[in-house]
Amino acid sequence: MSTNHLFRARLTWTNLGNGLLVLMGLSVVLPFFWLILGSFKTGAQLNDPTLLLFNPTLENWNEIFRSGVLESTWRSAMVAFITVIFSIIIGSMGAYAISRYRSGGNVARFSILAAQVLPPAVLVFPFLEISYQLRLNDTVFAVLVPHLSFVLPVVTWFLIGFFDAVPREVEEQALVDGLSRIQALRKVVIPQVSPGIGAAAIFGFVLSWNDLFYALILAPGNSATLPVKIASFNTFRGVELGAMCAAILVAVVPVLFMSFFIQKRLVRGISGGAIKY
Amino acid sequence: MYEGVQMSLRLRLMLPLVVVFSASVGYPLLHAFYLSLTNYKITSRGDTKIVWLQQYIATLQDPNYWSSLRVTAVFVILAVFIEFWLGLFVALALQKQRKIKDLTRSFLLAPMFVTPIAIGLMFRFILNQQLGVIPTFLAKFGLAYDFFGPGKALFTIVLIDVWQWTPFMVLLLLAGLEGLSKSPFEAAKIDGASALFTFRKITLPMLMPVISVAILIRSLDAMKIFEYVFAITRGGPAIETMTIQYYTYQTGIQFYRLGLASAMSYLMLIIVMIIAVILFRRVEATRKNQ
Amino acid sequence: MATIELRKVYKTFGNIDVVKGLDLVIPDGQFTVLVGPSGCGKTTTLRMIAGLETVNSGEIIIGGKVVTKLEPKDRDIAMVFQNYALYSHLTVADNIGFPLKAIKFNKSEIKTRVLGVAQSLGIQELLDRRPKELSGGQQQRVAIGRAIIRSPKVFLFDEPLSNLDAKLRLEMRTEIIRLQRRLGTTVVYVTHDQEEAMTLSDVMVVMKDGVIMQMGKPEEIYRKPKDVFVAGFVGSPRMNLMSGKAKSGLFTTESGCQFKIDSSINGEIIWGIRPEDVKILNTKPDAPQAKVEIIEQLGPRAIVTLQVNEQQITAVVDNDHLQKIDNRSDIVIDSSVEDHHYFDAKNGLRLIDN
Repeated sequence: MSTNHLFRARLTWTNLGNGLLVLMGLSVVLPFFWLILGSFKTGAQLNDPTLLLFNPTLENWNEIFRSGVLESTWRSAMVAFITVIFSIIIGSMGAYAISRYRSGGNVARFSILAAQVLPPAVLVFPFLEISYQLRLNDTVFAVLVPHLSFVLPVVTWFLIGFFDAVPREVEEQALVDGLSRIQALRKVVIPQVSPGIGAAAIFGFVLSWNDLFYALILAPGNSATLPVKIASFNTFRGVELGAMCAAILVAVVPVLFMSFFIQKRLVRGISGGAIKY
Repeated sequence: MYEGVQMSLRLRLMLPLVVVFSASVGYPLLHAFYLSLTNYKITSRGDTKIVWLQQYIATLQDPNYWSSLRVTAVFVILAVFIEFWLGLFVALALQKQRKIKDLTRSFLLAPMFVTPIAIGLMFRFILNQQLGVIPTFLAKFGLAYDFFGPGKALFTIVLIDVWQWTPFMVLLLLAGLEGLSKSPFEAAKIDGASALFTFRKITLPMLMPVISVAILIRSLDAMKIFEYVFAITRGGPAIETMTIQYYTYQTGIQFYRLGLASAMSYLMLIIVMIIAVILFRRVEATRKNQ
Repeated sequence: MATIELRKVYKTFGNIDVVKGLDLVIPDGQFTVLVGPSGCGKTTTLRMIAGLETVNSGEIIIGGKVVTKLEPKDRDIAMVFQNYALYSHLTVADNIGFPLKAIKFNKSEIKTRVLGVAQSLGIQELLDRRPKELSGGQQQRVAIGRAIIRSPKVFLFDEPLSNLDAKLRLEMRTEIIRLQRRLGTTVVYVTHDQEEAMTLSDVMVVMKDGVIMQMGKPEEIYRKPKDVFVAGFVGSPRMNLMSGKAKSGLFTTESGCQFKIDSSINGEIIWGIRPEDVKILNTKPDAPQAKVEIIEQLGPRAIVTLQVNEQQITAVVDNDHLQKIDNRSDIVIDSSVEDHHYFDAKNGLRLIDN
């Protein structure tokens, strides 16, 4: 009798859990499914949202590729890539000094933390004014520096956590074995933190790639990055709704692919060091 | 420990960070403060005067500003609350999983990686009264629910945020759960504790530092909400979804009043910093208890 | 192969003087062990010899060369850390060959040497593995291999055996001794375990609170500890130490117990007798009565805790003898005056050289 009771109780919790996961999974998948449907519908077909069987059209997709979505994607990728490279190089140097030598003390750590918390609304207006004065408004460069302003602190913060996790002895061993400090950093410490660098780079890339606020204000027209371009499809005329669906999918689909590869690294990377505030 | 000879190495390592940081964060921050003391408008270059605290006073006297603070506060509290509890249960469920772990996780974590504007537009698409699939679906059952109508729009925005950012909570909480040592749980099992009891008395307390950090990060992030409002409601109906970042954006970019907008955002910065410090102290306190 | 000299070395961390005016000569080609309780400064001393800690004042000289301000890489030393500090991103072969790569030996030369070292340590099968695939003992050997490959002047060991289980620890001890005999390199070894210090060392340096309490051959330190601290620290089970008054050949403890001692000692003293020197007899006139409290079996011997007039005394007894005295209520304890240790009650220093 009592074993039956235990068996049922255990079954319930795990069942609840799995049920929840299924629900969540559905709630993630269904909207995308509808987007995919919508992207192949004509204006008229879009008037009936629950229409499942229809003759698909490629017109929406053609339209968005004509409109420069690919160029925006390229710009987003460039900005994100450059931002991340800079952030990783500069950030890891500083993170190492802050971790090992306590450089900058509490001020440094606090500033880096504070920079992540700054509302973008504060910094964007000076950036706008300066970009006008330098005649760099609406260029990719005008977006790059602001992106550094939030990616660099995040990356550095992550990396400080990861450097903290490397045992001091491994470095000291390298010194005794005959390396100078810089050599020890390059050949021993950096390889030890490399999973963390990977996680930080991914995180930083996604942050930059997804930014709308800075890009919208600083490069709204000719140098639009992908999020800005997608926003430009915001409409409510049925004729253009399909194009909007296609545009959203352009942002979404690559991410879904990446997500599979990212999540394992990210969980490992985060539990490895960054959680430690 | 590392003294003397190491100094030049330390300087060389820190210098690029300090320079780039000052240029990208420090200087703009100061410049924003300067702007907030002026009556700078994008349209009136060359005519700028320093008006000291006038912009600040104007902001504090602006009922719309206070309203947007309230809207943002309600949004953050609701959203983070739901995201935390939902995220916790999902993380617990994910932790128990044995098969197809990676696939499930990559599915469930996907929403947080998509650019928020796309998510906003997506929900605009499926929740729209006339052309959205969900209202049409509900109508078939005789239910009429205007997602972005008066009284409902803010909550719908909360739900969109929950949809996109619960995975982030899941990520942090899952990492925390997987980092807990197994021995206390095994001891509890031997002692005969029920699942609920174990959860309340062991899991939650041991997870506290991670929970505090997760709530800290998510709350500070949620305060910056902009994209969903920009994509769908533009602050409406009336000013029901006018969040602080959107209102500041409107003032600065749509009405070109950069000086006023800078003051608004600086005030918001102060509020955010205070909240951040309070939450940060909480985090430290939970860590010390461990 | 080199002598190491520390001259008036001071090291301060913050407000705490960790090493105070240390004068130490570590003899060439011998196995020197720095031993002492936590915080005594032994690890700090080792790290200063290595160059991992700077010296506040004083000089460090290795093989006649002043190295005080030199980086570790320029001191021609090798070090084995407590947790081996293996490079987890490299294979065993790359770990061992690392120091040679650092001084730019060519690849084939490195390969030959690595193979030679690995064979001498019995780990040649593991060369392509990664550290995390190895057991504790194997990791230990890799760390040692990495240390010996350069044939440095000095080996430094920082409690390398503490992470091993008891059996493995004893095996590795023997191996380390053999290694040092074979190579003849100067070894400085730090441990908190006095038994390890006794078995390994040619020269033992007992430290406390940043100063050297006694330095010499292990047998000397065991037989003639210079002060109360060394007497209580070296030797297991711990020496019995009792405070009391000595007068006319009789020692009276605070609890009123009386023992016969050397008649030349007078005044307030601390009397020490090692458990192995305590004899338990059936009966003897004027000898203090004892009662057996606890027996801890060791196999051939046992540690017996006795109660003698409210004084607790530990003795080590052969098991045959134990059977004769167990459960008897009329046993007494005795000891020879040559086995006694007498210390001044005020400064703890040894009183006579018996």
